[in-house]
Amino acid sequence: MKVLALNGSFRKNGNTEILLKQALMGAESEGAEVEILRLTDYKIEPCRGCGLCLFRENVCQVQDDDVSFIFSKVDGCDGMILGTPCYFLELTAVVKQLIDRCWILGHKIGKIRKPATVIIPYATRGWIPYVSVQSNILLNLMGLTKINEITVCTQGISEVVLDQDAMDLAYGLGKEIAVAIREKDFIYKGEAGICPSCHDWLVRILKDNETVECPTCGVRGKLSIVNGKISVQFEEKAWIDSRFRPDVGYNHFTYHIAPSKDYFLRTKEERKIKTQKYKEYLTE
Amino acid sequence: MTKYFVKLRYYPGDPWEEINENDLKTFEKEYGVNIAYEKIENREMKDGLRMEKTLDKRIEDISQEVITLSAEKEDNFSNCIIALYKKYRCPRTPYSLMGSNDAGQKIAKRLMDIHGGW
Repeated sequence: MKVLALNGSFRKNGNTEILLKQALMGAESEGAEVEILRLTDYKIEPCRGCGLCLFRENVCQVQDDDVSFIFSKVDGCDGMILGTPCYFLELTAVVKQLIDRCWILGHKIGKIRKPATVIIPYATRGWIPYVSVQSNILLNLMGLTKINEITVCTQGISEVVLDQDAMDLAYGLGKEIAVAIREKDFIYKGEAGICPSCHDWLVRILKDNETVECPTCGVRGKLSIVNGKISVQFEEKAWIDSRFRPDVGYNHFTYHIAPSKDYFLRTKEERKIKTQKYKEYLTE
Repeated sequence: MTKYFVKLRYYPGDPWEEINENDLKTFEKEYGVNIAYEKIENREMKDGLRMEKTLDKRIEDISQEVITLSAEKEDNFSNCIIALYKKYRCPRTPYSLMGSNDAGQKIAKRLMDIHGGW
């Protein structure tokens, strides 16, 4: 049983790394082999948007970096813990860079299932809205099922060791993922959240002012006030459309992405004429 | 030629529910528009999924359901599109209105933003 931790923080022995290591100790106590990768130690080039992975049998144009190594590590583990600090409401750029490179994994949406948990240290309450959403995206693209997530309010380097509750939570999270792997129990164990699929609390109001949507899963529902409390109801059929279901992922790549090649080729001449002025504009 | 003309191309998994020709006829009467419906099915069962190779196919030839809507009056046209989007959701790709006229496409696109998400 292997548990891999991906560290999205640049800081060595910072709060994210300490919490991840604490979680790995918990996993080890349940018999797991553990490994940690600090993403900033690896070369993760930006996605070039070339579309080769989509149009030519999953080939990635970027070969001179470590992304395939990182993906092989994820493939080789039985469960993963993602740790990322919150910078300016979002997760760190290196993790987002990895998310962008997941196009190559896109065809795997919903196909592989391994448990994963997330650890998010952040400094200021209320300044963390998108980290959970973004980490859910990464886990889903990697074919991982989130079974829990913790957020820890902490700030200066290594200060988290002063927060015993947080350290205990992280240790428990590590134990939990090891047990989940052993017992093949991938049921979500964290706070329920608004969305029963990704368990996040974020909803988006559509411009019809009637419909709300989980921005991660894409499922839609209605918002109402019940006994003075906000309530979101998702229709049962909405779950058929959750974007990380295997058939929805397959349809997306097969019908939304792949046929764009035909459109692209058909419009070649028109695009050539209309883009000319931009090629000539502001060039040295 | 009809003033407003649009082709709404729904690919597998796009519509909220199965597109029903009787419902389309009801919309036709209710909104005073003309609606035609065409279904193209080329999927085959493989690995538990209905699959299809689409990469090198023409957009018009891959599995899809096409609702063709035309009308002379903008209100009729727009209201019917809103009803279709509410029932089936809006088409979802940049090429899903291919074959429409400019006036029809403009309205269909604007309403997508409001009723289909963005």
